[in-house]
Amino acid sequence: MAAASASSFTSLKSRPAPGLATIAAVKSGAPLSFSFRRPVPAVSRLRISCAAKPETVEKVAKIVKKQLALPTETPVTGDSKFAALGADSLDTVEIVMGLEEEFDISVEEDSAQSIATVQDAADLIEELVQKKCG
Amino acid sequence: MLSFLRRSYLNFSFMNPHYCCLSRNFSAALPPLLPVQLPSRMETHLWYVVPDEVKSAPLLSKYMELLPQYERDHVLGFRGDQLQKSALLARTLVRTTIARYQVDDHLDPRSLRFKRNIHGKPEVEWETKDGFCPPPLQFNISHTSSLVACGVTMNSLIGIDVEEKRRRTKNNILAFAKRYFTAHEVEHLNAIPDSELQQQEFIKLWTLKEAYVKALGKGFSSSPFNTFTIRASSGIAVETLDSPQNLTNNWQFALLELMGSHYVAICLERQETGGAGKALPIKLTARKTIPFVEDELVSGTNAVVTIGGSVTQF
Repeated sequence: MAAASASSFTSLKSRPAPGLATIAAVKSGAPLSFSFRRPVPAVSRLRISCAAKPETVEKVAKIVKKQLALPTETPVTGDSKFAALGADSLDTVEIVMGLEEEFDISVEEDSAQSIATVQDAADLIEELVQKKCG
Repeated sequence: MLSFLRRSYLNFSFMNPHYCCLSRNFSAALPPLLPVQLPSRMETHLWYVVPDEVKSAPLLSKYMELLPQYERDHVLGFRGDQLQKSALLARTLVRTTIARYQVDDHLDPRSLRFKRNIHGKPEVEWETKDGFCPPPLQFNISHTSSLVACGVTMNSLIGIDVEEKRRRTKNNILAFAKRYFTAHEVEHLNAIPDSELQQQEFIKLWTLKEAYVKALGKGFSSSPFNTFTIRASSGIAVETLDSPQNLTNNWQFALLELMGSHYVAICLERQETGGAGKALPIKLTARKTIPFVEDELVSGTNAVVTIGGSVTQF
């Protein structure tokens, strides 16, 4: 018998076994993604940061909450999975569109499909923004 | 937290005469599943559950017990009761439905294993046994918080997608379509003057495109939405951008309106054609179900209305 989670909110730290990020996406009808996390380039000493990471994560969280009509006080962190928050495939695409507008970037469809968590989105945004900033 | 999944004693009272109950109060196992016949090679079975109609906490508890630990963890990983419930019902529906086809005489929904094909599409992993040749059973699931559906065929690749009719996009439809759909589809949507109708057409198009990609089973990155057009003027067909003159004849579609509240799009690999390459209609059997409790054959009733594609309901 599965033990119901002791905390009121689903523990964001208890990740499913490897492979389930994709299963999670499929079960909820969200697009299949084949890479659990888009590869982030190794640290570059010449990196110019146009957006600090925590800020980016915050902005992504805000857009996600808006799309999914979650109350603003809902805890959404880098670890939060879109699917677990209730995003289906249409929500995910709308979120990406919202991120494109907010950060003035263009996200390739295959990159968009590999976004599973808020952190994935923030990392991708930073990479794309950096490309723009030089 | 799925609060009603606390361990509790079971107290079922199955009212439905389809299921033989020894007593109204169950303290032990669920009744056996009623077997159903496999779809013939030309048939498509559509099964669905309405989450709002499944209210019994003990029953949901029992559903949870059917799942292996990793699936239970996955269900509990969803945020909030409603999401957890529809995730649970989706796993329960697929397990119980496939079990009911009694492919292997003693098939227990608990013992079904699933795997992914090389492209990542979920499939049943049949036990390897002497003399046992697994059937070419194909299935696909889709769910929203208000509907959980599973399509099953023998041999035909299948993709299904369900959506509430009144689903609204946060973004402007045309802006969204211009970004993600093809020019022809944008044109089609743009030509609809009434915004309510335009919204519904958008949702129909979305579900059809999803169903197609899910039927292909190769993942969305292999078929981005702006690389194929769904044409739905007379019948429904898909046209890929890399061979525009060649309407892809391999796939046929059905678009249904379920219970007046949801669109269900089904995409099937075409198996046979009638004379002169003409497609035969999709033979559809639709059943509303609550696993272990009741089934209702709804095809041919008001609950299932064909609104696109060529479909014969049985």
